[in-house]
Amino acid sequence: MTSSPTHLMIEARGVQKWYPNGYHALRGVDLSVHRGEVVVVMGPSGSGKSTFIRTFNALEDFQEGSIRIDGINLGNDLRQIDAIRREVGMVFQQFNLFPHLTVLDNLVLAPTLVRGRSRTEVQAQALSLLDRVGIKEQAQKFPGQLSGGQQQRVAIARALCMEPRILLFDEPTSALDPEMVREVLDVMRQLAQEDITMVVVTHEVKFAEQVAHRVVLMAEGNVVEEAPPAQFFKNPKHERTRRFLDQIL
Amino acid sequence: MNPLLRRLRSDLFATPADGALSLGLIALITAVAVGLLQWATQRAQWAVIQANSTLFAVGRYPGDQQWRLWLLTALLTAVTGVTWGLLRCHPRADRDGTLWPRNDRLVLGLLVVVVLWLPGALQLTPALQIRWSLLAALLAASRWLAGRFGSKLSRPMLRLFPLVWPLIYLIGMVLISGGLGLMPVSPSQWGGLLLTLLTASFAILLCFPMGVLLALGRRSDLPLLRWISVIYIEFIRGAPLITLLFLGQNILGFLLPGGFAPDRIWRAAWVLTFFAAAYLAEAVRSGLASVPKGQMEAARSLGLSYPQTLVRVVLPQALRVALPAMVGQFISLLQDTTLLSLIGLLELLGVARTVMANPAFLGHSAEVYLTLALLFWSCCAALGLGSRALEKRLDPQTLSRSSSQP
Ligand SMILES: Nc1ncnc2c1ncn2[C@@H]1O[C@H](COP(=O)(O)OP(=O)(O)O)[C@@H](O)[C@H]1O
Ligand SMILES: [Mg+2]
Repeated sequence: MTSSPTHLMIEARGVQKWYPNGYHALRGVDLSVHRGEVVVVMGPSGSGKSTFIRTFNALEDFQEGSIRIDGINLGNDLRQIDAIRREVGMVFQQFNLFPHLTVLDNLVLAPTLVRGRSRTEVQAQALSLLDRVGIKEQAQKFPGQLSGGQQQRVAIARALCMEPRILLFDEPTSALDPEMVREVLDVMRQLAQEDITMVVVTHEVKFAEQVAHRVVLMAEGNVVEEAPPAQFFKNPKHERTRRFLDQIL
Repeated sequence: MNPLLRRLRSDLFATPADGALSLGLIALITAVAVGLLQWATQRAQWAVIQANSTLFAVGRYPGDQQWRLWLLTALLTAVTGVTWGLLRCHPRADRDGTLWPRNDRLVLGLLVVVVLWLPGALQLTPALQIRWSLLAALLAASRWLAGRFGSKLSRPMLRLFPLVWPLIYLIGMVLISGGLGLMPVSPSQWGGLLLTLLTASFAILLCFPMGVLLALGRRSDLPLLRWISVIYIEFIRGAPLITLLFLGQNILGFLLPGGFAPDRIWRAAWVLTFFAAAYLAEAVRSGLASVPKGQMEAARSLGLSYPQTLVRVVLPQALRVALPAMVGQFISLLQDTTLLSLIGLLELLGVARTVMANPAFLGHSAEVYLTLALLFWSCCAALGLGSRALEKRLDPQTLSRSSSQP
């Protein structure tokens, strides 16, 4: 693996997906994401944003085109899928914490099982991650005892505990009460400073303006526009982008 | 006003209509209770139970080998006490438990009272009375010891502890049937409560993994596996147990090669197992359906394999939800063992029928049936108590509720 700044972490070419019911959700999507880049994906509901980023860790399959993650082709080889999932973390809209495990065990489960690391070692790392996202005191509680914002921060820490090279966010703040959005975005802002690659589906314009290297607009199963945030929000090329921005700004 | 009185008043006499209903019900309950008590102490002739207590307990198990069953009972008692104590001295990570919650003291106290009183009331021999008292003492002592010193056990030791239960089961099988230097006792000599509990526990232990596998099969992506599971479950659930029991007596002997054809008792136990597995699968399936799809996705996105996801993430949640329904199945399974009497096995009901056929005890079937009902009821109550304790321990929701209260 090289670490040149142009190293491609995600390379999607002409990705097409039909759902089993025949719905054509992705219609030849192209996207390249470089190492350490933060890409924000926007677009109207139903445009295929979730479907698209979920193909990156094989939660969704696709029928045509190709996706390479850190140089590995995402095909049907199950071992490669497992290898890729270890390197790609995901944060969901609904948090999806494991309710039967304590916060600490939510973090410790995967590194011990999947990477075979010792529990004591992972526990120390998990506690320092929880400290970083500001909820070290809650380590022994169960997810159901935390607020939504706290749960989402645990979910981010859980993904980080696997030390992924790519982190995907699918509308991480959409299920949160407004007063909790900040605490989660703050954690994501911190993360963006590091050399982890991030793809973030979100409608938080301010976050995109401040943090993203590039903003992507998806509509009707395709990428319509890709631009640095300043240009994307002030001076978009496409009519479709302008219409979308009119609706959310 | 006294809080107890106030509570009584708000519970029973909140409105005139409530009050009238409460009074009526209280009168009814009192009448029934007094009637039962009068019957039990004055009319009933308990000689039929006293004279046959050994038969009810173990059937025709040879008298000079019965020490093996006492040993097994003592082992089970000790392991129960230790498990109970360990559960209390290792409260869950987020909860500081008391070593002796009120309910525990109540249950233990009640057990001790019954064990001290009942053998005397039944006029069992002094030797038997002493043994029962010793068992009660053993339970209390092991419960106390495990609670007191259990915190000294290391984490790996604690994790291994549940394995003691299957181990005890294996030891129990050897003790009951003989071998390894013990005199063999043929299954045809097992009977009564021994046989009831043996077949029921055998079926409960084995139908659990089978039910889980069937439920997973029914949700599988592989059509063949799915169809086999569906057909099996629906066929078994569509057939009355008694027909399957008769079928099993004929078919299992025919299907399996000569030497392997199990004894009649084991054939029946296997049929019970296969039967219960189908119902259990449906209980587990409803549990699986209650686990949100996001759980599977989160686990997979963290790199867990499919089996790891099932074992560590999906099943713990699904089984917790399915627990009450599963215990319901176990309880009906326990009661279904009475059908074994119809294929000529002398489990509790079978023993009861032979006893009642004895002219010496003619006309005392009420005493016998009441005893049977009480025996079954206490076994089911024990199952229910255990399951409720387990349910509470496994439920993060009750925790957040209890922790939000001061
Ligand atoms: N499992 C599914 N089966 C059929 N259609 C689906 C499924 N999941 C999503 N879709 C459809 O695919 C389209 C894109 O969905 P999604 O990727 O979730 O959009 P977004 O995240 O941009 O809101 C939507 O029209 C949605 O109805
Ligand atoms: Mg979406």
